[in-house]
Amino acid sequence: MEQDDADGSLDSWARFCSLSNELLGGDGDLSVGPRLAPVVADLCTRGLATLVRDYFLHSLEETFRNNAVKKFWQHFHPYCNASPVDRIKFCVKEHWPEEILSGALEDICLEKSYQEKCVLVLVHALQSYEDRTPKRKFKAVDCSSSLMPRYQLMVSSVLLTTLPLSFPEILNVYFKKKLEELNIIMAGSYESDQLGNHELFESSNTSDWHSGMDIDGQDVSESSCLVKNIGKVVRDLRCLGFTSMTEDAYSSAIIWLLKSKVYELAGDDYRVPVLGSVKKWIQAVPLQFLHALLTYLGDSVDYDSGSSGLKSPLASRPSSFPGIGVPSEALVRWHMRLEYFAYETLQDLRIGKLFEIIVDYPESSPAIEDLKLCLEYTGQHSKLVDSFISSLRYRLLTAGASTNDILHQYVSTIKALRTIDPTGVFLEAVGEPIRDYLRGRKDTIKCIVTMLTDGSGGNASGTGNAGDNLLEELNRDAENQENADYDNHANIDEKQAWLNSESWEPDPVEADPLKGSRNRRKVDILGLMVSIIGSKDQLVNEYRVMLAEKLLNKSDFEIDSDIRTLELLKIHFGESSMQKCEIMLNDLIDSKRTNSNIKTSLLKTSQTVAGQEEAEISHDVLDATIISSNFWPPIQTEDLVVPASVDQLLSDYAKRFHQIKTPRKLLWKKNLGTVKLELEFEGRSMQFTVAPVHAAIIMRFQEKSSWTSKTLATEIGIPMDSLNRRISFWTSKGVLTESAGPDADDHTFTVVDSMSDVNKNSIANERLAEYQMTEEEGESSVASVEEQLKKEMTVYEKFIIGMLINFGSMSLDRIHNTLKMFCIAEPSYDKSLQQLQSFLSGLVVDEKLETRDGLYLLKR
Amino acid sequence: NTMKVKILQWHAVASWTWDAQDETCGICRMAFDGCCPDCKFPGDDCPLIWGACNHAYHLHCILKWVNSQTSTPLCPMCRREWQFKG
Repeated sequence: MEQDDADGSLDSWARFCSLSNELLGGDGDLSVGPRLAPVVADLCTRGLATLVRDYFLHSLEETFRNNAVKKFWQHFHPYCNASPVDRIKFCVKEHWPEEILSGALEDICLEKSYQEKCVLVLVHALQSYEDRTPKRKFKAVDCSSSLMPRYQLMVSSVLLTTLPLSFPEILNVYFKKKLEELNIIMAGSYESDQLGNHELFESSNTSDWHSGMDIDGQDVSESSCLVKNIGKVVRDLRCLGFTSMTEDAYSSAIIWLLKSKVYELAGDDYRVPVLGSVKKWIQAVPLQFLHALLTYLGDSVDYDSGSSGLKSPLASRPSSFPGIGVPSEALVRWHMRLEYFAYETLQDLRIGKLFEIIVDYPESSPAIEDLKLCLEYTGQHSKLVDSFISSLRYRLLTAGASTNDILHQYVSTIKALRTIDPTGVFLEAVGEPIRDYLRGRKDTIKCIVTMLTDGSGGNASGTGNAGDNLLEELNRDAENQENADYDNHANIDEKQAWLNSESWEPDPVEADPLKGSRNRRKVDILGLMVSIIGSKDQLVNEYRVMLAEKLLNKSDFEIDSDIRTLELLKIHFGESSMQKCEIMLNDLIDSKRTNSNIKTSLLKTSQTVAGQEEAEISHDVLDATIISSNFWPPIQTEDLVVPASVDQLLSDYAKRFHQIKTPRKLLWKKNLGTVKLELEFEGRSMQFTVAPVHAAIIMRFQEKSSWTSKTLATEIGIPMDSLNRRISFWTSKGVLTESAGPDADDHTFTVVDSMSDVNKNSIANERLAEYQMTEEEGESSVASVEEQLKKEMTVYEKFIIGMLINFGSMSLDRIHNTLKMFCIAEPSYDKSLQQLQSFLSGLVVDEKLETRDGLYLLKR
Repeated sequence: NTMKVKILQWHAVASWTWDAQDETCGICRMAFDGCCPDCKFPGDDCPLIWGACNHAYHLHCILKWVNSQTSTPLCPMCRREWQFKG
């Protein structure tokens, strides 16, 4: 019995083996199926079901490996064995790897589908046995159902274990090429659609992307055919078990294409917004592609009807996409993923170029808007701060950049970042290094004041950049002043207060809690400028000096633009801080009135004695600015002896003033003012606008054509060196010539007497040349703030020196605090840190001190 | 001599002063050439006035003083009866 059994088993097994070999080796001949069933059933009754299954799978694997897999990989061998350089050659080939890939896939899938049929034959055989013996619980039960999955697993594991390393690369190249192809097709229809949109816009608003597609039916078929091909490849790859590898390949290809699209659209042009077109493109190309692909693969249906538990809470579904309709969950995920990537790419691109973008700020505001939207989405503000600060350090805060440029960039930065982040948190972080740097520059205050007051009108000195005119800014802020007046809580009515408190939002996480809350951090350009200087008093003081300089050098009384500036400054700094400046301007207004009164009355009286002083100058030429000197900054006074004729005019004028304004008196500042004069040579004249001292010098040459500097200096009442400095104006204009005088430091100056000589020496050759003193030639009438400060600080110099002898080296703060602590007796120390710093930097320039690592020490 | 200088305009600068003997007003201690604490602008808006005793004050300062006195007003400096110098 046992022997029989064993023989039967061996017999059945042998038959099974030959039948299965026949089945697998046969060319699509499935006719062995019916013969196989009884053999399998017999073997199963003998309890050999698993053996049957395993043997079958094993021989499937052998066949698959030897026939299909080898052949499959052979297709790719030329590429895999090539050197990196040669691989590029492959990539450039037109139909590579498309042809090879689809051919190879077709072959292997054909083989696989035949094998699947074979598997099914066995499955049927096993099943029919199981069906006949339902009560008996045999192992064969799981044999039939587990056969197919095991087969699939076998296929993919065979393929994966023999996978050449560069296969994913090939897939990637394939998808890239296909997507590019698709992009070109879509771009054509996309563009024609845009054109169509434009034309159709007036007639009907219904034209959307999809209708554009429909109009261009050829594109639709072309692209859908392309997608179908891709879909087939994807399906084949999936069927071989390359699901995730395929997905990786096309995802990275899409991302790659998206990235290059963003780069292409964004470029270096900051004047056009690109975010919109990037988003449109995402919907037009990658999403259409994915939609078509997912639909072809049948995935979208699964997701669509799938349980809602799968749905991401983030994926609030857009009602529909153009040309797609209600999107599937997978598509929504893709959409979000692609958009996020686009935002991030664009953001990184813009952040990298933020410096340039801010340089052309008002023009580049579209780029700033884009960046703002990107950052809102990604929340990577800190990236911006870090990158921008480092580019500032590298490109702006260097010795080569002028203070003006830095300030302009600072203002642009404020404006640009205010758009991105209205709370000013990031601006604070970015602005700090700029402010710190500017504090170390001596001309900062001057430049700030110039920026503030230059522009809008009347100022000849600046070719002021209209975009950066801070007055404009002041003006606009002035209009918003009422709303911004947050200090005045009494003015906010209860309802408004309630609304304010309801709209409260916490500060961004990046906010520095030490810097106060959102309210106080309101972005105020002027406030930020003042914070560079340290206090508004210093700014006002500098403004006063500059205003004084400007007013004292005027040859008329036109001050409309200055009044306007002052009014704006009053709004920001308070009336009381601007009081002195107001008095200064008021002096000009008063002077204008007094001047015309005096002149009218003088001319009347001079008419009565006319003829007597015919050769003299008329009272008409004299105008005077009469100042309330207590309210002006310290004036540079210098003795000057003006020619007798002018002196007569001045004393007449002063006399008349005293008559009109008794008991007030006039004190002339003879060195100040401006003189317009004409030099008349034979048949030629030249006009000049000069300082009184220059006029006094040249007028002396009427009496005598040649002077030595010593005698002239004595005549005019100024020191020799000062005369030499001033007289060079006339020699440079070719009016006087200089020659060696009686001794080494005494020179002789002579009027150039013939016209030809004048022409030779002077550049001017018009009949009436007009000269204006340039800024270097002119001299300041007012002691600069720096000079004033230096004078006041000199008292402390020996304290500072003494300190440094004792302590070696000290920081600015420490010097400041020590002075505050010990200099309490007259004159008590009342300077600000910034003032001390600028004084110390003066001492460094004078080589009395030096700085090392932010510490001051004595220069040895 | 061949060169002549023709002055077309001489715009000069001067400052004004009340020319009082003292620097500051004895009442408000502000400079005479400045203005009293109640005024915004010096000069015409805030004139000086001399008393018969030759002491000068800001007009507004001495008026305030005179008006605040119940009996005959005296010069704050010399305590003589205050009379405006005619």
